[in-house]
Amino acid sequence: MSEPALLEVRDLDVHFPVRRPGLLRSPLTLRAVDQVSFDVRPGEVLGVVGESGCGKSTLSRALLRLIPVTAGSVRLRGVELTTLEKAALRPLRRSMQMIFQDPLASLDPRMTVGEIIAEPLKALLPRMDRAERQQRVLRMMQQVGLLPAQINRYPHEFSGGQAQRIGIARALVVAPELVVCDEPVSALDVSIKSQVINLLLDLRAEHGLTYIFVAHDLATVRHIADRVMVLYMGRVMEITDRDALYARPLHPYTRLLLSAVPIPDPTLARQRRAAPAREELPSPLALPSGCAFRTRCPLADARCVAERPILREIDGRYVACHHAEAAGA
Amino acid sequence: MAAEALLEVRNLSVCFDTGDGPVYAVNGLDLEVRRGEVLGMVGESGSGKSQSWLAVMGLLAKNGRAEGSARLGGEEILNLPQRALRRLRGDRMAMIFQDPMTAMNPFLTVGRQMTEVLECHRGLSRREARARCVAALESVHIGDAARRLSMYPHEFSGGMRQRVMIATALLTEPQLLICDEPTTALDVTVQAQILALLDELRQRYRTAIVLITHDLGVIAQLADRVTVMYAGRQVEQAEVHTLYGAYRHPYTEGLLRSVPRLDQPRSERLATIPGRPPDLARRPAGCPFEPRCAYVTEICRQRMPPLVSLGDAHLRACHYDGALGRAEIGA
Repeated sequence: MSEPALLEVRDLDVHFPVRRPGLLRSPLTLRAVDQVSFDVRPGEVLGVVGESGCGKSTLSRALLRLIPVTAGSVRLRGVELTTLEKAALRPLRRSMQMIFQDPLASLDPRMTVGEIIAEPLKALLPRMDRAERQQRVLRMMQQVGLLPAQINRYPHEFSGGQAQRIGIARALVVAPELVVCDEPVSALDVSIKSQVINLLLDLRAEHGLTYIFVAHDLATVRHIADRVMVLYMGRVMEITDRDALYARPLHPYTRLLLSAVPIPDPTLARQRRAAPAREELPSPLALPSGCAFRTRCPLADARCVAERPILREIDGRYVACHHAEAAGA
Repeated sequence: MAAEALLEVRNLSVCFDTGDGPVYAVNGLDLEVRRGEVLGMVGESGSGKSQSWLAVMGLLAKNGRAEGSARLGGEEILNLPQRALRRLRGDRMAMIFQDPMTAMNPFLTVGRQMTEVLECHRGLSRREARARCVAALESVHIGDAARRLSMYPHEFSGGMRQRVMIATALLTEPQLLICDEPTTALDVTVQAQILALLDELRQRYRTAIVLITHDLGVIAQLADRVTVMYAGRQVEQAEVHTLYGAYRHPYTEGLLRSVPRLDQPRSERLATIPGRPPDLARRPAGCPFEPRCAYVTEICRQRMPPLVSLGDAHLRACHYDGALGRAEIGA
């Protein structure tokens, strides 16, 4: 990690109080993001994977301060974001943008495509004149594969794939450095998904973008990411370079996830055995002691019950598991 | 076609009356489902894969119409009166959906919803029905079944809810189970378990399963035969190994090549199918896939290719006769 990081996240906590029925019972704490630390290097794509409820969407929103952070630090080019006032945060919004999962739900149905893409320019670069704004919008539309003639259309006139192109244009029009993509292709059809993935890769190359790419689909993440972070119950299980992670996952949870990805080859698919892990996830309100994954882990022993594993380096990879050496063997 | 057909669908069309005129969701579907087999039905949104089976089940939306024929064990069931359909559904055929939460009543315990099926269809007493439901939950590997019957749907995880749906669907031992994207809303780890469960049940009860999904990985794991749908039409049908290994339709090729997959080396760019999904309100004279096809010729614009046999139970609807392998990379 010699290169200075674009984004540094240290010991990040995002907790939600959960009220319990009953007048005098104190609320429980849901640790949606629990002691998460990682770096994002300039120009890389960091994939973030995990099952539903692992905290990946909460994390992406917290990074952009769309939801409050409980504790910890998020620094963009050395500037601490968690303690900034709203007004001071605004110029930084230009540097960090987000693309959402459901393209239609994240676009205002009463605004035209042109207005939607111009909106962040108006908000973040208010002194830009109308003509230039229009120019930027048109250029952005062309870059994401929308036609200039579509500028006065409304979102509902577009298919899911086209609507996602609008969402991408809206995020990129202010020329951000870092784009957090939260399941950007999960809602799209197979034939459209690959178009949008290729578009994201092209735009990254053209504009020198850095992505945090959040997804549950490990095959898609392998395609787009340079490094991958695996989350479980709000905690980091493993952060590793893509090729190493997919070739030799060190964390038992990563192995479980990979073994469950269906393979579109009937011969291979039938040779594999179904994932043996227990289905029941622990309640996020009552996590197991020690390692959060131990209740589903085939390697769990007394140490995993007693002691929470820290994220430690093994051969240039970061793994939070007492048995990482055994698991990777 | 040695094995006995349980369900025969002939020339099934589904049309919806909309403000913009009629929209044809399914055009001339022809297929059989055999006892004990898993028929995979793969396609993207708007391909007609779900509407075909909602029509067979008599569950189309109010503005939908079905034409053609569907025979279950030789008996015509398409467009039967609601009463007869209600007897058939949950008795000889059942359907489960992507989101079990929307298919369950949130105000009733799981036990109440399950026993109701047996009280209505089998005339069992509450107590007998309860015992059968406990056994059914155990057969889908839900532990502590008796206690679970008094729980409400929201108290179950997504995977457990889908198990409950499957158990409920199987209470009356239907001959045909239609599963519409049964694992799409689930995590991969849970998906693997539900697929294993479906496989186990079809072996144990010889239930025929129709597996509707957009996911080629799911189909590869479970289906014996596969039908590929595009714009309301069957474009290819074959035994599963033939379809994945020796497909003959350009759309099948495009689908298989554009999926990122872990069993192959990573490529810098994904192959894509250029263009957009078809607009069902327009009914082109030619092949609906023609605007996106890499092998298009003049005749494709003029005439819809018929579904013809290539031998060995392999069917396809395409005018192009040459070799495939030209799917676009990185459009």
